[in-house]
Amino acid sequence: MPIETQISPRAAELPARLDDDEISGNGRAATMPKISVIVPTHNNGSDVQAIYRALRLGLENYGESFELIFVDDASTDNTYAQLLDLARRDRQVKLIRMRTSFGEASALDAGLRHALGQKLVFATARVRVNMQSLPQLLRKLDDGFDLVVGWRTPRQDSGVNRLVSWMFNWLMQKQGNLQLHDINSSVIATYRSVLENITFYGNLNVFIPVLAARQGYKVSEEQIEQLPGAFRKSVHVAEYIQRLLDIITVIFLTKYSKKPLHFLGFFGIIFTFAGLAMNLYLFVYRILGFGAIAGRPLLLLGALLLVIGLQMISIGLIGEMIIYTHAREIKEYNIETVVGE
Amino acid sequence: MNEEENVHHLHHAITDVMQAWGRSYEIVIVDDGSTDHTFPLLEEIAKRDTHLRVVKFRRNFGQSAAMGAGFELARGEVVVTMDGDLQNDPQDIPLVVAELEKGYDVVSGWRKNRKDKLIIRKVPSTIANRLIRKTTQVSLHDTGCSLKAYSRDVVNKISLYGELHRFIPALARVEGARIGEVVVNHRERKFGQSKYNLTRTFRVIMDLTTLNLLLKYLTKPLHFFGGLTLVFNALGIATLLYSAFHTAENSLATEELNVLMSLGFLLIAAGINFLLFGLIANMVVKTGKKRDERLHEMAALNHL
Repeated sequence: MPIETQISPRAAELPARLDDDEISGNGRAATMPKISVIVPTHNNGSDVQAIYRALRLGLENYGESFELIFVDDASTDNTYAQLLDLARRDRQVKLIRMRTSFGEASALDAGLRHALGQKLVFATARVRVNMQSLPQLLRKLDDGFDLVVGWRTPRQDSGVNRLVSWMFNWLMQKQGNLQLHDINSSVIATYRSVLENITFYGNLNVFIPVLAARQGYKVSEEQIEQLPGAFRKSVHVAEYIQRLLDIITVIFLTKYSKKPLHFLGFFGIIFTFAGLAMNLYLFVYRILGFGAIAGRPLLLLGALLLVIGLQMISIGLIGEMIIYTHAREIKEYNIETVVGE
Repeated sequence: MNEEENVHHLHHAITDVMQAWGRSYEIVIVDDGSTDHTFPLLEEIAKRDTHLRVVKFRRNFGQSAAMGAGFELARGEVVVTMDGDLQNDPQDIPLVVAELEKGYDVVSGWRKNRKDKLIIRKVPSTIANRLIRKTTQVSLHDTGCSLKAYSRDVVNKISLYGELHRFIPALARVEGARIGEVVVNHRERKFGQSKYNLTRTFRVIMDLTTLNLLLKYLTKPLHFFGGLTLVFNALGIATLLYSAFHTAENSLATEELNVLMSLGFLLIAAGINFLLFGLIANMVVKTGKKRDERLHEMAALNHL
C-alpha cells in the first residue's frame, strides 16, 4: 500500500542511536521503545487530541518506554493536520498517512512495519474507549498471556449494535474455542511475534484474537471503559452482511483451508446423491410404465442438484490442487520451543 | 501428546537399541501440544541426553503437522518414524533401516500379528488397507503402521498437510520412490489410553477419495473435467435433439417441451462450466511445480 508521508524523527537517526545505546548501555531505553501503540485514524478530528493525551498519560504511568504510531487512513477532515502538529512537537509520536483509504487491516499492517517495540498495542480511534486504561491490558500481558483483548464495559452502544455484537461473539466463541466477551473490540495488546505468525488482510484484523487462539497462543481479556456518546446510532445493513461474509471466510480459513474437498465434497456428495435419487425414481417410474416423465419438474430439479453437487466437488478438487501444489510454502503448525540442538 | 508414562520407557528403549547398534543417531520427539507433564519430562531428559531434540507445539496440530515438523528438523540420512505409545518395538528400528538400505526409498513396517481388539480395529484396518492398495497402487499390507523408514530425498520431497501422514507411501510413490515392507513386532499398549476410534476410519476413507482423485488428475486435470464436459454436453444435445424430433412429429405437449428444453440447456451449460473448471485447474497446476520436474530432480538426486 502506498504510504504518502511518514514523519518519524527517530527512524532517520536510528542506526546512530542504536550504536550509541550499545556502547553506553546506561539505561537509555528511550532509543528502542519497548511498546509500540498503533492507532489507525479515519476522520477522527474531534477525538485525536483526547486520544493522544489519554494514551500518553496511561503509558507514562505504566513506566516502559513507548512510541505512538498514528496511521491516518486518508482522513478528509483535519485529523491529519492535528496529528502532524503532534508529531512535530512530540518525538515519541510517529505519523503515517495512507495515500487513499485502504481499511483498518492495511493501516494496522503499515503501523506494524514501522513499529520498533516488541509489545504492540492496537487501538483504533473508531472505537471510543478510555485509552488511559490501556496499561491494564499490558499488565495482563506481563502475567503470561500472548494476547489480551480489551472488553468494552459497560457497553455504550445501541441495542441493535449490541445484539449484533453478541451474536458475533457467540459465533466466534464456537469457532475459536475462545471464552471472550468482546472479541471485536479492536483494542488488542500483544507481542510482535504473535502478529508475525498471523495473516490478516481486508477486514480480518477483527479476527486477530480468533486467529491467534487457533495458532495456540494464550488469549485473554481485560475490562476497558467505553466512553459515552458519539456511538453510531444507525445500522448499516451492508456492513453486517460484509461482517457475516468475513465470518464465513474465517471459518473456512481456520477449519477447511487445508482440506477443501472435505468441506465441499461433503455437500457435493449430498447434492449429487439427492439429484441422482430423484432421476433414478423417474427412470424406474418410466421403465415400469407408470407414465411419461418429460413434463415432470422433478426431472429438472434432479438434474440441477446433480450438476450443483458435481460442481461443488469440482471446486473442492481445484482447491485441493492449489493446496497440493503450494503445500511446501505453507506451514501448518506453530512451534513454541525446540529443546536440544 | 499426553504420553507421560510412556516417555521414559520410549527414550530408554530407543537409546538401548541405538547404542547397541552403534550407528550415529538423533531422536526427535514432537510434543503435539500435550497438556500434562510430558514436555517438562522431555525437557529434563534432553538436558541429560544430547541425542534428544524435543519440539513443542503451541497447541495440538495433529499427526500430519507433527510428522511434518519432525521431517523438517531431522538431520539424519535415514529418518525412522514411530508412535509415542510404545506399540511399535524400537528393536525393529535396525530391521527397517537394513531393509531400506537394500535399495528402497520407503520401508513400512507390517504388524502381522496385531495386538488389538479384533472388531473395532483390525477389521476396519484390513478394509482400509485393501482400499488403499486398490486406489493408490502401493501394495503394502499395513499402511497404518507408524514404524517406517525414509530415505533423505523422500523426506525432502514430500510435503505433509491435512491428514496425509497416513498416505506417505502413496505420496512418495507419486515422486517415484521404491517402496518396501518388513514384518515388525506389535505390542499391547502398556500405558495411557489408545486414541484410535471408529470415526477415524471414516475420515481415512474420505481422505483416500481425495488422494485418489488428486493423484490421478493432478497432472492432467482436463481429463477429469473434460470427461464431465463430454458426458454433460452429450446428454444435453441428446435431450435437445429428442425434443426437436418430437416437436416435428407434434407428439409433445407444450409443458413437456418446456421441461425437456430447459433440461437440455441446463446440461449444456453445466458441461461448459466443467470445461471452464478444467481450464482453471490446468492453470493452477501449471503455476505449481510440475511433477515431471520433481521427478527429474528426484532422479538426479538418486544418481549423486
